Amino acid sequence: MKPKVAVFDFTGCEGCELNKLNFEDELLALLEHIDIVEWREAMDDKSDHYTIAIVEGSISTPDCVERIHDIRNRSEILIALGACAVQGGMNAMKNQYPLEQVREEVYGCHKDLFPTLPALPLSRYVRVDYEVRGCPMTKNEFLKILTSILMGKKPIKPTHAVCVECKLNENECVYDKGMVCLGPITRGGCDSLCTNFGQYCTGCRGLVDEPDVEAMLAILNRHGLSIVEAKKRLELFNYENQAL
Amino acid sequence: MKQIFPLTFMTHNDIPHWISHLQKIENVIAPHKNGINSFSFGKVSDPKCVILNYDRTLSSIKKYFLPPKETLFSFSTDGKETTSSKVEPINAIFLGVHNYDLEAVFRLDHNFLSGHAESQYLTRRQGALFIGVSYTPDEWHFSNSVLKDGEPNHSGGFDLFLHEIEDGYLLETLTESGQNLMKGFPLPEFDGDIPKQQSFNAHIDGGFEKVTDVFSRAWDSPVWESYAEKCVGCGTCNLVCPTCFCFNVEDEVDLDLKTGNRIRTQDGCMLRSFSEVAGGEIFRNQKAARMRHRLYRKFKYISQETGESWCVGCGRCSAYCTAGISIVDIVNDLIHDSNREIGA
Ligand code: SF4
Ligand code: SF4
Repeated sequence: MKPKVAVFDFTGCEGCELNKLNFEDELLALLEHIDIVEWREAMDDKSDHYTIAIVEGSISTPDCVERIHDIRNRSEILIALGACAVQGGMNAMKNQYPLEQVREEVYGCHKDLFPTLPALPLSRYVRVDYEVRGCPMTKNEFLKILTSILMGKKPIKPTHAVCVECKLNENECVYDKGMVCLGPITRGGCDSLCTNFGQYCTGCRGLVDEPDVEAMLAILNRHGLSIVEAKKRLELFNYENQAL
Repeated sequence: MKQIFPLTFMTHNDIPHWISHLQKIENVIAPHKNGINSFSFGKVSDPKCVILNYDRTLSSIKKYFLPPKETLFSFSTDGKETTSSKVEPINAIFLGVHNYDLEAVFRLDHNFLSGHAESQYLTRRQGALFIGVSYTPDEWHFSNSVLKDGEPNHSGGFDLFLHEIEDGYLLETLTESGQNLMKGFPLPEFDGDIPKQQSFNAHIDGGFEKVTDVFSRAWDSPVWESYAEKCVGCGTCNLVCPTCFCFNVEDEVDLDLKTGNRIRTQDGCMLRSFSEVAGGEIFRNQKAARMRHRLYRKFKYISQETGESWCVGCGRCSAYCTAGISIVDIVNDLIHDSNREIGA
């Protein structure tokens, strides 16, 4: 029997899922090996048990908490998909304000109808087996993880910084173009997509393991950002990272 | 030194015509502009885009013999079939190479020839002709501190060498292959001497002799930690180094799950994961230990066998370090630190 795969979304822009619908050729090839049993964005079917649950978005309401526990209980393998699911994403920036204030701002006089919680990565509530990082999620990483699981192998998690891929691609360093870049401390695996196209790295894939935040702040500072500005830059996708 | 072949003279205007002439013989690989302030070696399509007056290229010509990423072989996942990737000799003329980058190629030749000879590198390495060019050292170059013949106008090992002078280049012919490249492109002879070498701005105090001495007792120096503090561990210094050759190997399985490729990618000892072994243990987890290892690889481990520096003084790791760390500063601090100790 083919593994049963389900796709779920929580708090996020659903860009990761849509991104996934954008690679039809690869999806068709994958469908040879899996059965997609649940996917709100693409189909109506439901199932009770999943071999692989692919979960997008952060956890930000009491309802989310209940649902994610339920999904975890019914899944053998859980994959967090995209920056919101893995790191809390941009949503987590709301966590720096009092929750009441955030509710008021967004829902105004209807705020009582919408209970809210700090936006957190899935891993703060349930065990996450694998991570597909990026905003939107990195397609190649997604395919590599899925093929590894289907082969019964442990996927290799990239641990190097974006700088490595930037050098392998022989890009001119963003700093030498007069911009600042979060590549030195951001987890690679994206094949330095943004810097390949002349952009700087915003850090969407989160920080490397054991990041040296002090050294990174010093680099940003040396290139003209105040320490406060530098911290803000790092927080964009890493607000919930304990290293910051 | 007595010239075997006469020196000739080429104007700036001659250069594109000459490159076109070379292209008729073989592919020409030369420096081009890359981005706003940087340069890269690439195959020449328009000779006018070649830049001979450059400080350094992001990657060295190493990338043609040891690609940053390559498929070693393809396989079927049932284990029954493997197909080696086709590797061909480079057969190209490398134009506009700085002295230190050719020295680095000779270092790699040694690495890939000794022990278990590495056929992919050695195959690609065949059919390469080298045309050097002199350069003006910037704040980062320090080749004469580490190489026996590190002067920017040192032409040894090249087939042809261009010495920049005010209104053009002096062309020095060094080998018969070099002479053959000039057949059909006559140039006027130059009656005079090769211009004097340009001086360096960065120096290792005491040169390579002192380095060898200091690296025999630099292991416990506090200098490592003082630089590691600033280092963010990005690995840039490894990846841009013309003599770094470490790699990682990974299997990528195709979506049909039936076939796949074994991929080799350049790796670096400054990366935390580099020393990760089965079970998740990272045996060189401190940045100071990693930095020490990188420099010991450049100045001691291989050097004590060969008598030569494995750092060629190109200055890439300093110029491109995201944290602004200079290898010359590290080595000079090690020297001063050890002098202090001896003095005490
Ligand atoms: S160690 Fe640094 S200066 Fe020496 S060859 Fe490597 S990149 Fe160049
Ligand atoms: S380039 Fe600089 S910051 Fe990056 S690993 Fe090397 S020494 Fe550290």
